[in-house]
Amino acid sequence: METVPIRKIIHVDMDAFYASVEQLDNPELRGKAIAVGGSSKRGVVSAASYEARKFGVRSAMSGAMARRLCPELIFVKTNFDRYREFSEKIRNIFFEYTDLVEPLSLDEAYLDVTENKKGNPSATLIAEEIRNKIKEKTGLNASAGISINKFIAKVASDINKPNGQKTVPPEDVIEFLENLDVKKFYGVGKVTKEKMYRHGIYTGKDLKGKSLEYLSEHFGKSGAYYYHVVRGIHNSTVKPSRTRKSLAAERTFSENISSELFMMERLEDIAEEVERRLAKSKVAGKTITLKIKYSDFTLQTRSKTLPFYTATKSLIVNTVKDLLYQEPMKESVRLLGISLSNLNNESKKKIKPSVPIEVQLKLDF
Amino acid sequence: MKFIVSSSYLLKQLQVLGGIINSNNTLPILDNFLFDLDGNSLTVSASDLETTISSKLDVESSEKGKVCIPARLLLDTLKTFPEQPLTFTIEDNNTVEISSNHGKYALAYADGEEFPTPVELNDPSATIIQGDILATAIAKTIFASGNDDLRPVMSGVFFQFSTESLTFVATDAHKLVKYTRADVQASQTAEFIMPKKPLNLLKSILAGSEEDVTIEYNESNAKFMFENTEMVCRLIDGKYPNYEAVIPKENPNKLSIERNQFLNSVRRVSIFSNKTTHQIRLKIAGAELNISAEDIDYSNKAEERLTCDYQGDDMQIGFNSRFLTEMLNNLTSDEVSLEMSLPNRAGILTPVDGLDEGEQVTMLVMPVMLNS
Repeated sequence: METVPIRKIIHVDMDAFYASVEQLDNPELRGKAIAVGGSSKRGVVSAASYEARKFGVRSAMSGAMARRLCPELIFVKTNFDRYREFSEKIRNIFFEYTDLVEPLSLDEAYLDVTENKKGNPSATLIAEEIRNKIKEKTGLNASAGISINKFIAKVASDINKPNGQKTVPPEDVIEFLENLDVKKFYGVGKVTKEKMYRHGIYTGKDLKGKSLEYLSEHFGKSGAYYYHVVRGIHNSTVKPSRTRKSLAAERTFSENISSELFMMERLEDIAEEVERRLAKSKVAGKTITLKIKYSDFTLQTRSKTLPFYTATKSLIVNTVKDLLYQEPMKESVRLLGISLSNLNNESKKKIKPSVPIEVQLKLDF
Repeated sequence: MKFIVSSSYLLKQLQVLGGIINSNNTLPILDNFLFDLDGNSLTVSASDLETTISSKLDVESSEKGKVCIPARLLLDTLKTFPEQPLTFTIEDNNTVEISSNHGKYALAYADGEEFPTPVELNDPSATIIQGDILATAIAKTIFASGNDDLRPVMSGVFFQFSTESLTFVATDAHKLVKYTRADVQASQTAEFIMPKKPLNLLKSILAGSEEDVTIEYNESNAKFMFENTEMVCRLIDGKYPNYEAVIPKENPNKLSIERNQFLNSVRRVSIFSNKTTHQIRLKIAGAELNISAEDIDYSNKAEERLTCDYQGDDMQIGFNSRFLTEMLNNLTSDEVSLEMSLPNRAGILTPVDGLDEGEQVTMLVMPVMLNS
């Protein structure tokens, strides 16, 4: 008699990502205390190797401060293209398991593996496999946290860091949260921590002892968030990064076109392509934009917002026709495109109401 | 073909067999009883393709023949008669005529050869068990079996025969019952999974019966034979989960309590529990058992205190009250024992008294994790 299907969320966090990439690329940096970024006068450290962290060097620390803490610290320039390259590789590993991947940044991501492409019921084993694959394909270490929601997974990934993982199974969630220092709660920074400590809230258990009203009064909007997460309730879904903002198709013509009639013919084809893509992504849009690139490479866009969402070719074509004939063309045209924005996929989809977890446990067959 | 039979005798047999007939058959022939006459012996059969059950009846006749007679129509007719002899005559115009003291009734029949023939068991093993014991074993276990189409093996009852004892197990992964009879043995070890439907039928036929039941079985089928009745059914294919592995061995916290009192409290308190989880909470400290439930959505709340015999650490554990009720209800002892280790490990419910020599019942129930 399950009330909510229990999710299996993995939070994968690369260990000292930027610094590790640099050390991988430059063997002479290996085993040394390095800081990525922060060499310029007003710069801050973007990442520090574990060797540097021993001295207290942290990311977001000013370069000057870092140098004071660790005089032999080697500063390396950031190379985001290289990090992105690694990040891409790692993300592709994630996609072997699930499409529900929500990147938080280049070096961490949430994965929802409740249903996964490998049909593997054990999120713990999946996390292990993923970490091994990352090591194998990139040479980098990753840590992982596995649990029933994003919040706990995120906290858990920190526990056996570096190069480790931690699973918080549903039956341990409550206990795990109760014993957690509030400063470990995701979203509790230095200031909030101090404030919580002042209110006598040191652990999850203390936090649980406070009423929703009390927390809302003292911590504002976040109060409700704290109230729920400490009870294991965090229904935020793993959102694949590509929440589309718009959807488009365009064509560059082999020869420039000057007749609107011919343009309309091409636009019908383009609209058909747009319709196909809309159907594939299961979205509809309100705003239709016509993109025109003239033979002199100047770009013009004309758009119109409909009072309703549409995903059908005929409506798109009609609107585009209006836009096309809105004013005469300045020149012959080399490219036409149609895009739909104001899509119906954001924030309109209701999130499930928060239900407290009461988990009917199963025999372990 | 013609025979004379007592109306109530026939009805009694047909009502038993009728339990196997599905209400909506894709194969119309299965809506019939097969009447197979051989002199003074009439064999009547019903089938749903998975299970075929047949009974031999004594009738007055000297003829031979095989026909299929519509089950519903025949049963409805027979039910209305006071006890009297009925004469069945198979006419040439594809109808069977029944004559009673009151009049005549004609039913269309189908050719007896159209009825599916039951599977012959090749090279079976056999075990003999008293009807009543088998019925009890089924009754004790079947309620715990599951309905999950994804795990068909758990939708049946696991028969585990050995030279020392017979064991019957059912589970739906939330609860589990293991029923063992050390006073009955098999000639060799065997394991098979019986589907629920034929078991329910056997349970009702065999309750209280002192007759012996011979069970024959091979890889794919089982056959139950008793008195004049034979039932052949297809087994559930697959491997039964390793249930022994999930029975916790170390259970330091042991609660003993009067069964009826416990059951009544659970029933009352559970009325106030959440309508989807049915969760109730047991809080045990010293010699006091506190049973409570709360439905936050409706501000419903209940709490009861019982005295009990308890050895172990103070603890709190949540259960689905439906499981507890079913299990406590299924037991017949005056007193039960509930052994536990941790709030997230299975509780083991066993009867303290009232067992036959060699009889053993172990029930497992998984808790609901408490959220606060």
